[in-house]
Amino acid sequence: MPHQCVRCGKVYIDGSSEIIAGCTCGAKLFFFIKKEHLHKLQQLKKLSEEQKHMVMHDVYDLIGDEIDRDVPVVLDLESINIPEPGKYELDLVQLFKKNPLIYKVGEGKYVIDLAETFKTRKQL
Amino acid sequence: MIKKFTRFFQNFFTRFFQKRKDLKLGLYGPPNGGKTTLANRICTDWLGQEMGAVSNIAHETREVQVKEHVEIQSKGKTLKFNLVDTPGIATKIDYEDFMKSGMQEDEAKERAKEATRGVVDSIKWLDDMDSVIIVLDATKDPYTQVNITIIGNLEARKIPVLIVANKIDLKKSDMKRLEAAFPQYKVLGISAKFGKNMDDFYEELFKLVK
Repeated sequence: MPHQCVRCGKVYIDGSSEIIAGCTCGAKLFFFIKKEHLHKLQQLKKLSEEQKHMVMHDVYDLIGDEIDRDVPVVLDLESINIPEPGKYELDLVQLFKKNPLIYKVGEGKYVIDLAETFKTRKQL
Repeated sequence: MIKKFTRFFQNFFTRFFQKRKDLKLGLYGPPNGGKTTLANRICTDWLGQEMGAVSNIAHETREVQVKEHVEIQSKGKTLKFNLVDTPGIATKIDYEDFMKSGMQEDEAKERAKEATRGVVDSIKWLDDMDSVIIVLDATKDPYTQVNITIIGNLEARKIPVLIVANKIDLKKSDMKRLEAAFPQYKVLGISAKFGKNMDDFYEELFKLVK
């Protein structure tokens, strides 16, 4: 299945070295695109470069320091959709199931495994 | 054989003398139901101090708040617990909603982000709870995805639940609608703001955590 760069939108076929090393534009986040979502993806609202950067910044801010920002993040199902900066749609069923926390941006989707954060839960 | 006996006695004594874990009572529900107002009411009644800030704008509580060693009394009995006030759980958080309340765009977007993190934290804390009070706004439609998801998940985790219908001081409140929505649960009408029915509420707490 293809992967799409979150920042520049460039699509890489499965197994591309860029998915491991990072996109040619320097971004490390990729959408993991399922066939059934390709059509829907094209219909979604286009975000400006600035908005894309804001969403990425917000997501990194939300997930905290658990994720190494220099390591490419592979993307899958979404539990939190961010159609544009400041707007969040939460899939409570997925969140309650404790599936890995996943963020999706407007023109596609990407997944970030937050399993580590569940381990670092604060104790009373 | 001797080893088994030794291990058995070691485990037995460790458990027996271990300090009992503090009971955790969580306040859960959608935003603006009155969770923090109720937490403040409990803390003011029994500790003489408030727990957190309240506001008319949704998602005022965006971090889990814990008040330790709350001790309440009812009919000569004493109950001790740690009170956990959680951010409201929502399916959609939109900064434009906050802007309608007069907030600047940047502040509104930051609030939306913090509120989203708060929802995730609330859900993460759920497994730590021994009992949960679901605080609902009695003036609002109870048949929402948030309410049903929370209650369904508590049921699945076998966590005892008390549903509190808050804001019964308001004319628009509808206790019957709430009772009809959750017939398998005790639904208690209160006004956390004005302290209405709080004696009944404290009595119900004893039943909830017994």
